[in-house]
Amino acid sequence: MMTEQPNYYAILGVDKHASLEEIHEAFATWRIKLKEAEQLESTQYQQIAYAYEVLSDSDRRTLYDSLLQETSAESVLEVHALLSRSKIGVLDTPQVVYLLVNVHPPQQAEDARLPLNLCLVLDRSTSMNGERLERVKTAVEMVLDKLGPEDVISVVSFSDRAEVLLPAGRVHNKVRLLSRVKSMLASGGTEIYQGLKTGVEEMRQVSLSQHINHLILLTDGHTYGDEALCVQLAKETAVQGIGITAFGIGLEWNDKFLDRLVAPSSGQSGYIDDPMQIIEYLEKRIKGLGAVYAQNVQFHLNFPNAVYMRYGFKMTPYAQPIDKEKEYVKLGDIEGRRPLSFLLELSIDPQPIQTRIKLPVHLTAVIPGKKLQKYTFKQDLQLMVLKTPLQEEPPEAVLRAVRMLNMYRMNEKVWEDVEAGNVEMATTRMRHLTTRFLEAGQTQLARQAQMEVDRLANVGDLSLEGRKTLKFGTRALLNQTMSLLLNGDEAGEHD
Amino acid sequence: MIKCPECGSAQYEGTLFCSECGRFLVETAQNITAQLPFAQFGRLPTPPPQIEEELELLASSKEITFFIPSRRERLQRQLQNEIRVGRADEDAGYIPELDLTGYDGVAHGVSRVHATIQLTNQGIVVVDLGSTNGTYLNNYRLTAQQPYLLASGDEILFGDLLVHIFFDL
Repeated sequence: MMTEQPNYYAILGVDKHASLEEIHEAFATWRIKLKEAEQLESTQYQQIAYAYEVLSDSDRRTLYDSLLQETSAESVLEVHALLSRSKIGVLDTPQVVYLLVNVHPPQQAEDARLPLNLCLVLDRSTSMNGERLERVKTAVEMVLDKLGPEDVISVVSFSDRAEVLLPAGRVHNKVRLLSRVKSMLASGGTEIYQGLKTGVEEMRQVSLSQHINHLILLTDGHTYGDEALCVQLAKETAVQGIGITAFGIGLEWNDKFLDRLVAPSSGQSGYIDDPMQIIEYLEKRIKGLGAVYAQNVQFHLNFPNAVYMRYGFKMTPYAQPIDKEKEYVKLGDIEGRRPLSFLLELSIDPQPIQTRIKLPVHLTAVIPGKKLQKYTFKQDLQLMVLKTPLQEEPPEAVLRAVRMLNMYRMNEKVWEDVEAGNVEMATTRMRHLTTRFLEAGQTQLARQAQMEVDRLANVGDLSLEGRKTLKFGTRALLNQTMSLLLNGDEAGEHD
Repeated sequence: MIKCPECGSAQYEGTLFCSECGRFLVETAQNITAQLPFAQFGRLPTPPPQIEEELELLASSKEITFFIPSRRERLQRQLQNEIRVGRADEDAGYIPELDLTGYDGVAHGVSRVHATIQLTNQGIVVVDLGSTNGTYLNNYRLTAQQPYLLASGDEILFGDLLVHIFFDL
């Protein structure tokens, strides 16, 4: 310890690229904190004060930075960004360029982790009666077994109202906790907002900044009339650092709504078609959450005016559409050694010849294990505008990602066509999609797609099962393709 | 734009897989010259689909992007009720939401009250309001006072001023 160069940035808890204001602010926060704890005489405070003295003086900081670069080879996140091409032609129509970004934790990253603050919000409406509810109870037992001594759990059940089955706390007496969960009976309707609100209140019983906070919702039905409230709550809690995962069981739930619910925290939504899989899904989710390395990863849309993001999709650690804010997109957490990867489709407006378009890859993240509140990564990619650029082979990874994503989007369009009453167009598209599935060797998806083609021809509609199987099947395909490509990693979240 | 050899749909240059039929587009891209907006001489444009049902105006709002290629300029407008297109007449206190005065509207034959874009239950529609030089959707001259459905990426000529329209569904 003594021989190591102290890292002043780490001591202050700021990023290497932090502005002077951020440094002032960090120091002021520390001062208040330690003053309250009457620690202004401590060694810790002296270290912080010295770090502040160096970093707030621009000359001393420059000198310190130059020393730091020589000694520190460690990186916080490894980022690889790929464009589908590096040169575009002069055209008077907009053009498309794809940007694929992979973010890894560094090889030597230690597994420092914060304790979990987990809340399970369980649907106990009438339709959950029988095997579904029994499996959910067994799943809760599994979760209690998996938690560490520092982790906090709460369990809330809901129908038209919500009850706290287990108030937020550590697992001391598992048997007693379980008997409370086992007493849960199925009856009533589905009002998700009641469950979420009660769950969030439980989670706020512990310090949110000292935990990885995550709420897992399990439901099998439509919620009536309170969708907007739920999404509003999800937005508020995302700001406070509470993530949401939502699993739909069976066929009756609204997948679009669950996507919107998890979007603000860039959480996961998933489809559980067989109650047998409830435990498996929850287990994977808990494993991922227990190994969170980076939180609240954001990609900042600092593109020049001529460039804008048309569409974005996250492929790993799980496949999920990306919610676009005004200035950035949220990418959620990096879980364990599994890289985060995402694809952006960019539209480039017509540009004069010989222009160099700068495409900044600008990411920020919170690294709890290193007490880094804001880690920043910046790298500029370049796109040249030439009169007649030579044809470029797009990188293999980009090609595969775009191919799988295109199938997912074609499937989404079929549903939009049907909703818009355009059965003919939907049929043509689904027929094309069947062919693409076959070409990709995805016989099961192809079979389901073919069934939907027949259904469209006969009844002019699609099946609920088809909707979920194809939507989540293509998402799983994306996830697997990317996972395999990145490092032969174990296949995705849901198979 | 490039044309998908399988289904014939128009795709932006650089697209890797056809958004309509999923065909891989790269090997064909280099052989096809980008199609200019006015390069469709000698070919009759296909009429846009007719709207049969009654239209209902929607109260919600949507962000619409207009791209004016002659100026390489992108304009964003919030579509709430309607976006009026034309030239401002300040004496009459008339200022359309999409004012084309500054884009040589007069020289391009844009009328003061030219057209309107509305958000309906069927989608986004354009209606020519009886303008002097007409409104064209993908080179097809629209019948005045008749709504036509718009798709993102459509080309609209107000008089002979070209505007591309983009929006998310």
